[in-house]
Order: sequence, then structure tokens, then C-alpha cells
Amino acid sequence: MDEFSLYVLDIVNNSTRAGARNIRIFLREEGDDLYFTVEDDGCGMSEEQLARLRDPFFTTRKTRKVGLGVPFLVMLAEMTGGWVKIASKQAAGEGEDHGTKLEAKFGLHHVDFLPLGDLCGTVTTLIQGAPDTDFLYLHTRGEKQVRLDTKELRQVLGDLSLAEPEVLAWIRENLAEQYEQMNQV
Amino acid sequence: MKLSDLEKALSPAVIAAREEDREILGVYAGDLLSRAMSHVREGDLWITIMNNRNVLAVAGLADAAAVLLAEGVTLLPDALEAARDNGIAVYSTDKTVYEVCSLLAGYGV
Repeated sequence: MDEFSLYVLDIVNNSTRAGARNIRIFLREEGDDLYFTVEDDGCGMSEEQLARLRDPFFTTRKTRKVGLGVPFLVMLAEMTGGWVKIASKQAAGEGEDHGTKLEAKFGLHHVDFLPLGDLCGTVTTLIQGAPDTDFLYLHTRGEKQVRLDTKELRQVLGDLSLAEPEVLAWIRENLAEQYEQMNQV
Repeated sequence: MKLSDLEKALSPAVIAAREEDREILGVYAGDLLSRAMSHVREGDLWITIMNNRNVLAVAGLADAAAVLLAEGVTLLPDALEAARDNGIAVYSTDKTVYEVCSLLAGYGV
């Protein structure tokens, strides 16, 4: 994982695997800091799972003895002078709130931080992998922003699935255009 | 080359030992853990300067023969615990990764 976007992909995939219907992804650049937040309404984790999440020798997946997505994220955050906070709630009863919120801070200009990488491709891949999930993606840098809300897209698309190749191609292109504007000095 | 031969050749500090005198089948050198995860093979000696708990998880996943920490690096306390709990051999040397690789190449590894 030599690009930050791969960490985003890995972490958000956890939300998808937790059965989230709504996932909100925020990237906020503030001076030398990059804040990364993922909020989902997935099944959430027990206190025991939450406590062991940073432990690379633990995973909820049965196929592997160790799960390294969160430990790698924590490592990158701490290596660049940041941190990771995770809060989670399992539904106590029918209709109760549940979900997970992960917040992380990275040193954007720290020598050990990575290039942001292909965020357009990452967001497109996430939507392709879970076309029935709603994603809000918001990347802000000062006054500038890149934003994609699949709820808004669905209103325009009607019954057309987000997994349609034309739709995915449009999403990717739209994000790329927004990033081009954001990156203009 | 076996781990005992490595110990003779390099005289590294033994950070965490394992009972079995295991054969070193190959070598991987590198510090990006996600990359090591797909490149360290079973029986490899993995040379790195990373010293956290994740290193032991990756070494354990790959079933590496041992981890060799270069440039005088030693394990962080919780990483040492993971090495002991999971029976992963860990050594430390003051030599650089390059120096270790050159030396091992001389032994035909």
C-alpha cells in the first residue's frame, strides 16, 4: 500500500462488509494536517472487538489469523504524527442506532506520508463493489472541495443501477474533473 | 543456511529465539509492510528496519524463518511480546540492510 487511497479503500471496505447502507467518507486538508473520517450504519462492533481492532493478530474474518487494515492505518497515522480514533455501536434492539465512526489524522507533509493516489478510482471501485449502498464522499482543501453523493445521483438515474459501466465511467470522470479544478493553483 | 549458521555468520543479538533450528530458504529485504505481506515467502529471512507489532503479524502470516532487524533497531515492547507469543525468531544487527545482504550473498544464500 504505497498510496493513501489504498488505505481508504481498505478501511471503507470494512464498512461495506459490516452491511452498511450509508457510508460517509470525509477527507479534510487543514494546513499540514489531513483528517480522514468514515461513518457507517453497519452492524457495529462489540466492545471486545473494538478493543482488539488495533491488534494485528486479530480479525473478524475467519480465513486469516491476522487482519491488518486498521493496524496499518494506525501505523501510517502515528508515523506521520497523527492518530486514529474509532467508536462503534451495535444495535441494542430492533430499530436502534448502530454503526462505526473512524477518525484519523495524518501529517500531510510528513516525510513518511504517502502520495494521496488515485482517489477517483478508489471511490468508483467502492461504489462498483456496493452499488446499493449510499456513499457521500467529500474532500475539502480550504475553500475548494470534491463532492459526490450517490443519493443525489440516484434521483437523476431513476432505476438505473450505479453498477452500470456507463454510470461508473461518469462517476470517475466527474470526480477527475472536480479534482482537476481543485488542483488548479 | 540454517538459523544457527546465520547466528555464527552475523553474530546478531538474539531478540527472540525459537527452539527449532530452521533452514533459511530465501531472503526478503524491505520495510513497506503491505508489500512485504505479498513478498515474504515461507522460510524466508526478512530483513527490515521496522520494529512494531505489525512486523510480527506479517512474518507470522508468511511463516518466515526469522526477522532480522538492521541498523541497530530493536523490537518495541509489545512487538517483543508478539514475537514470543507466536514463536517467531527475531535478531538485531548494527549492519545496514545492504551490508547484511552482501554478507549473506557471500555465503551463497
